[in-house]
Amino acid sequence: MLKQIHGECGIQPACVAVRDAKFPKPFLQQPGLEFSSPARGVWNIVHIGMLLPQAHLIFVCPEGCLRGVVQTADEMNASGRLSTIDVRENNVLEGNIEKMMVDGVSDIIGKLPQKPPAVLIYASCTHHFIGCDLTVVYKALGKKFPDIAFGDCYMNPIMRKTGLTPEQLMRRQLYKLLQPREFDTKSVNIIGNCNRTDESSELVRLIRESGYGLKDIVLCKTYGEYLKMAESPLNITMLPIAHAAGVALQRRLSQKHVYLPLSYLYKDIEDNLNRLSDILHVPERNYSKNIAHAESSLHKAKKIIGNCPVAIDYTATPRPLSLARLLCEHGFAVARIYADEFSGEEKDDFLWLKEHCPEIEVCAVTDPRMRVAPNCTDGKVLAVGQKAAYFTGTDNFVNMVEGGGMYGFDGISRLAGLMADAFLHEKDTRKLIQIKGLGCNCCL
Amino acid sequence: MVKIAVYGKGGIGKSTTVSNLSAALAERGLRVMQIGCDPKADSTVTLHSGRKLRTVLDLVREKGNGFSVHDMTAIGYRGIVCVEAGGPSPGTGCAGRGIIAALEKLKEKGAYETYNPDVVFYDVLGDVVCGGFTMPMRNGYADQVFIVTSGESMALHAASNIAQAVWNFRGRGYAKLGGLILNCRKVEREDEKVKELADDIHTAIVGSLDFSKTVQKAEALGKTVLETFPESQMAGEYRRLAENVMRACGGELPC
Repeated sequence: MLKQIHGECGIQPACVAVRDAKFPKPFLQQPGLEFSSPARGVWNIVHIGMLLPQAHLIFVCPEGCLRGVVQTADEMNASGRLSTIDVRENNVLEGNIEKMMVDGVSDIIGKLPQKPPAVLIYASCTHHFIGCDLTVVYKALGKKFPDIAFGDCYMNPIMRKTGLTPEQLMRRQLYKLLQPREFDTKSVNIIGNCNRTDESSELVRLIRESGYGLKDIVLCKTYGEYLKMAESPLNITMLPIAHAAGVALQRRLSQKHVYLPLSYLYKDIEDNLNRLSDILHVPERNYSKNIAHAESSLHKAKKIIGNCPVAIDYTATPRPLSLARLLCEHGFAVARIYADEFSGEEKDDFLWLKEHCPEIEVCAVTDPRMRVAPNCTDGKVLAVGQKAAYFTGTDNFVNMVEGGGMYGFDGISRLAGLMADAFLHEKDTRKLIQIKGLGCNCCL
Repeated sequence: MVKIAVYGKGGIGKSTTVSNLSAALAERGLRVMQIGCDPKADSTVTLHSGRKLRTVLDLVREKGNGFSVHDMTAIGYRGIVCVEAGGPSPGTGCAGRGIIAALEKLKEKGAYETYNPDVVFYDVLGDVVCGGFTMPMRNGYADQVFIVTSGESMALHAASNIAQAVWNFRGRGYAKLGGLILNCRKVEREDEKVKELADDIHTAIVGSLDFSKTVQKAEALGKTVLETFPESQMAGEYRRLAENVMRACGGELPC
């Protein structure tokens, strides 16, 4: 019988004080054993694929690799939107993997109760290893089913740390079925997010109040609505993992790509919003009231949270150092940041923390030592993010991934409110963090 | 851009033939790129005075993605752009996968746009043994496949297999079979045997190369025949072959 061994063997977590940490990789990462914590809130390639409305997903890989994707779909109550094709040794030996894909996909489409407008086909590392010519597969399928759009997607763990990450690649491929359309000059897209950006955020308000329509795949209910995203001459990305999608669409559909990275620094936020104003040809706005509101929210939260140690992880926000800096500047007792690596965009924040808060600990997430590190701390801890909640063993945590749709000064105000609420009200951490893809029901 | 893949049994003289073809075309003022698709990484060795070239896969292994297109190439005799795909150590890894990775990396780094060659040669290891070795035949890579063979049974068998692979992929928009190159080994009824194969696989012999010690002498000097013995009979044979190959690809050489 398996026995949980955390906290008893005296192994310390893989942590380093920020003053001694290296940037952007604080830990020596060697290929090999990794720990995957049971915090499952981040979105995987199934969740992202499910964002394509009315699409059917087909995974083509060895049976043993299907467990996770099948479970994800089942957990979403979306098993009806996912099918699998089992690759076996004889397919490799006989060299018929391309034919098998065409036959398998055709068979699945024939058995679906309704023909989907789009099918995303996930090839695996088996295809990669044997040099399968996927263009031949898609060409044959396109000929056979001219009324279905086929999208190439990849479940290729062997390439996880080479080139684009699976998350970046999946977000890029998600928009690959968009075809050129006449531009609607009053339309703007936000792409690459799994969360809907808050309507109250300065960014969304700026778009809408300037007379522009906003399109986002998380708002699309039909495949037709998704296709209309090709009508927007502008794509906004705000997450590093979405950047490649913006670049690809700019090249393919000539949609202008503007990267307005999520940040918690007032200057960055204001610069981003002013940049957008410039692109939308509207006057720059005065954000002093928004800043004042963010300040007031932070002060209120600080009053409630006091000197309780705060832990932040990289799944809650792609800018954990920026958030840590904001919180430290407002008197919060940031104690730990959980991340294996930081985005290059965070260098200034890293240097600021090194100078002003050198004692903050940076802790690894996938280092095998984290498997046996005690997942409890002395006293109360407030965590931002599921992994931070898991590693600190706290029930006081802000349950969010990828910035939670909070952006700008409004996002800071909202986050401060959520932190105060999390401090005051415990959550059932164990129950919440084991559910995959936080908020993924928006796909359904 | 004319893109040519040269296949054939191991040891049949593909690299020697391709290097001399490259040299012959470069002499005629064409910009040539020669890509060795063999883990031994010795396809282009006679084009750059025997110096060992950093292979694409060595660069990937050592630097990840942190290298430029110029790191992958060496400029050899008469400006020929030399590339070696490389591969795993003998007995380990997957050579086919190595070819795929190397060719994808060349494309990704914009090698074809950067050098804008008139002619690209893919010099491919041995027989078609797995998907990786068909990569140079695929859409976007070579347009024509030429097979080097002698009248020896094993060479003919390999040539037949390669032609079969080209035939199997006929519906995919892959490279077409351009013809056979007879590299004579003084086998009995050699011309006849190779002609029979050409008829069987519905192609032609685009050229024939005599068995000559000049080739060995040039190789011993680490250079092509065209560079070392430009006035020799063999140099003339390679030049004629280059003309025939270009003609079979639908192109003509500048005078």
